[in-house]
Amino acid sequence: MLTINKTKEKEELCLALEGRLDTVTAPQLEKELQGSLADVKALTLDFERLEYISSAGLRVLLAAQKIMNRQGEMKLVHVNETVKEIFEVTGFCDILNIE
Amino acid sequence: MSGEKRKGSIILQVAILFALAIVASGIITFVTQHLRANQSVKQQAENHSAEIANEVSLAVREYPGYRWLLRYWLEHWDSMDVEYDVDFSGETETEAKYRSLHRRNPGLQLRYMEEEQIEALSEEDQKLYAEICYSWLITRVDTIKQTHKVDYLFCVVTGEPYDTQFFLFSAADPGAVRGTDYEEVYPLGHVVRDLGESQHEAMGSACRKASHLADAGDYVDYYAYLCEIDGRPVLIGLTSSLSELRADIDRQTWQETLSALIFQVILSLICLGLMSLFVLRPLKKIQNSIRLYERSKDSAGVAENLREIRSRNEIGELSEDVVKLTRELDQYMGRMESITAERERITTELALATRLQAAFLPHDFPPFPDRQEFELYASMDPAREVGGDFYDYYLIDEDHLCLVMADVSGKGVPAALFMMVCKIILQSCAMLGRSAAETLAKTNEAICSNNQEEMFVTVWLGILEISTGRLTAANAGHEYPVLKRPDGSFELLKDKHGLVIGVMDSAKYREYELTLEPGAKLFLYTDGVPEATNAEERMFGMERMLRALNTEPEAAPAHILQNVSAAVTDFVKDAEQFDDLTMLCMEYRGKGMSKNDDQAERKN
Repeated sequence: MLTINKTKEKEELCLALEGRLDTVTAPQLEKELQGSLADVKALTLDFERLEYISSAGLRVLLAAQKIMNRQGEMKLVHVNETVKEIFEVTGFCDILNIE
Repeated sequence: MSGEKRKGSIILQVAILFALAIVASGIITFVTQHLRANQSVKQQAENHSAEIANEVSLAVREYPGYRWLLRYWLEHWDSMDVEYDVDFSGETETEAKYRSLHRRNPGLQLRYMEEEQIEALSEEDQKLYAEICYSWLITRVDTIKQTHKVDYLFCVVTGEPYDTQFFLFSAADPGAVRGTDYEEVYPLGHVVRDLGESQHEAMGSACRKASHLADAGDYVDYYAYLCEIDGRPVLIGLTSSLSELRADIDRQTWQETLSALIFQVILSLICLGLMSLFVLRPLKKIQNSIRLYERSKDSAGVAENLREIRSRNEIGELSEDVVKLTRELDQYMGRMESITAERERITTELALATRLQAAFLPHDFPPFPDRQEFELYASMDPAREVGGDFYDYYLIDEDHLCLVMADVSGKGVPAALFMMVCKIILQSCAMLGRSAAETLAKTNEAICSNNQEEMFVTVWLGILEISTGRLTAANAGHEYPVLKRPDGSFELLKDKHGLVIGVMDSAKYREYELTLEPGAKLFLYTDGVPEATNAEERMFGMERMLRALNTEPEAAPAHILQNVSAAVTDFVKDAEQFDDLTMLCMEYRGKGMSKNDDQAERKN
C-alpha cells in the first residue's frame, strides 16, 4: 500500500512516497529511514502522491525530524490538501519544514 | 487414516512387475530363438544332407570296384535282372545268385573284389556280381533313406549341360512300387529329361563345387559329387522336406523359451522372498513403530523397537531417521506446550488489561445522576484488546466539568501504557485547577521529559463552567470538535490548534472560550471515526459523520452515539476494524432546565 521511491545524490536523500502512510505501512518507512539516514545532510520527502497520513506516520516523521535536526535539515515537498490539513490539525505544521 | 486407502503390498506390486518382465522376456526369447533357428535351418539342412550323401557315398565306396560297378550298371542296365528292395530275412533271388556265383568261383569275396578280379570273371558271372551288388546296395540305401527320413535319395549320372538324369539307383520305402509313373520309385536306367532350370544349376554347380544345396521353400534339393565314369559325373541327390526340420526347431524353440521362463520364475520367487525378508519385514517394523508412536508418543519406545534393524542401507537410514524424527517431535511438542502456556498467559493478561483499561475510564451512565444541568454519554471500541484512544470526564469542583478526548499514536499495548500515563497526568493537572491551556502545557512538559519512543498524543480538553455554560478549551493537535447550537445542526468547530503532546517540550497552547446555550450539544471523537475504512479503501469521512449526527440531532447523547456507530458499521461492513473508535457527546441543559423539563419539551 506504500511505495517508496528513493533517490540519493551524495548527502541529499529524496524519498517519494506513494499511497497511504498508516499503522500498517509506517514501519516500512521507519525501516527505510533507519537504514539510510546515516550520512544524509538533506532529507526531502516528496508527498505528491501520498493520499493519507495517520498518527503512526506522524510519529515516523517526528523521529526523522529529530534525527535531521542533529545532522542537517529535512523538508516536505508537494504536500496535498488532505495531508496538509492533518498537519495543521495536529500542529505538526509548526515543527515540520513544509514547502 | 489415509493408510487405509493405501493398503496393498509392495511384494505384490513387485511380483506383478516381475511377472510382466518374465512375459516380456519370454516373448523376446521366443522371437530371437525363432529367428536364430530360422537362419540356421538352411545350414542344418545342408549339414544333414551332406551327412546323408556322405553315408551313401561311403556305402558305394565300400566296394573297391565301385567304379566298375557303376559303369556296368550304366552300360548294361537294360540287360540286367535286378531284384530291388530285398528283404533278406527269407530266401531271396539274390541269395540264389550269390550261391550259384560262389559255386562257380569258390573263395570269392564279393565285397572286397578289385576291378581286375572282377574283369577276370566270366561275362555271366560279371552280370551276376553286378546284380547282387546292386541289390545289396539298394537295400542299404533304402535303410539310409528310412533312417534319415528323406523324401528322395538317389544316384544319377549326368553330364553337360546337366539337363538329363540317368538313374543308377533310387531308394524306396517298404512297399513302394518300382516304376516310372507318379508316386512310383524310378528303376535302374530311367532317364529324366524335363528338369527345371534350378536343377540344371544345382547339378552344374555340384559338379564344380562337389556339393550344392538348392532351397525351394519347404524342400531342399541337395546334390553331392560322387565320382566320374567315362567323363560323366555321378551325383548323389537327395530331396528332403524342411517341414519336419522346422517342426523340430519350433519344438526346440519352445523348450528353450520354456526353460528360460521357468528359470526366471524361480529367480523371481527367490528375489521376492529375499525382498520380503530384508525389505518388507523391517519396513513393517518401522511402520508399526510409527503407529505405536502415534498412539503412545513414546520416542524412547520407538528407538528400542527399531534397534533390531541394523541394515546398513536405506532402510537402516530410514529407521534412524524415524527415531530422530520422533525424538525431535517429542522435543517440539514440549516446546509447543510451553509456548501455548505462554500464549495463554499473555491472552489472560491481555484480557485483564482490557478490563482494567475499560474500568479505568469512567463508564457508568448516566455518570452524574444527580446533576440535571448536563447529560453525557461516551464509548470506546478499541481495534485490538487494548487501545490508545481515550475519553475522560470528571468534576473539578461543583461548578466545573472537565471533558477530555485523546488519541495516542500507535495501537495495542504500547499505546495503552502511554494512554494511562497521559490520562493520569492530564487529570492531575486539571484537578489542580489549572486552565485548559496550562493543563496541556504541563502535561506536555511531563511527557516530553521522558519520551524516548517518540510517542505522542493528541488531546482536546475543555472545562465547562456548569452554572454559566462557559466552555474554555484547548486543542493539542486533536480533531475538530463538533458543536450543535440550540435550534441548529451539528457543525465542525474549527478551533485553534497547538502541537500534539509529547513532541516538543516548549510547545505552547492557546485557549479559546465559547458559551454553550442550554440545549447545545458537543460531540468529541477520535480520528478512528472519520477514518474508518471500508473494503474499497474509502474513508468514512467528516461529511458522513456530520450527516449521521444530524439524522436525529435532538436525540439524547447515547442515541446520537448509536446513530454514528451504526452509520460507521454500515459503511465499513466486513472490513476489519482498523483504528480505535472513541466518541463522547455532552448535552448542556443549563441551570434552569431539568431533565424532566427537557423530555417534556422534546415530546412537544
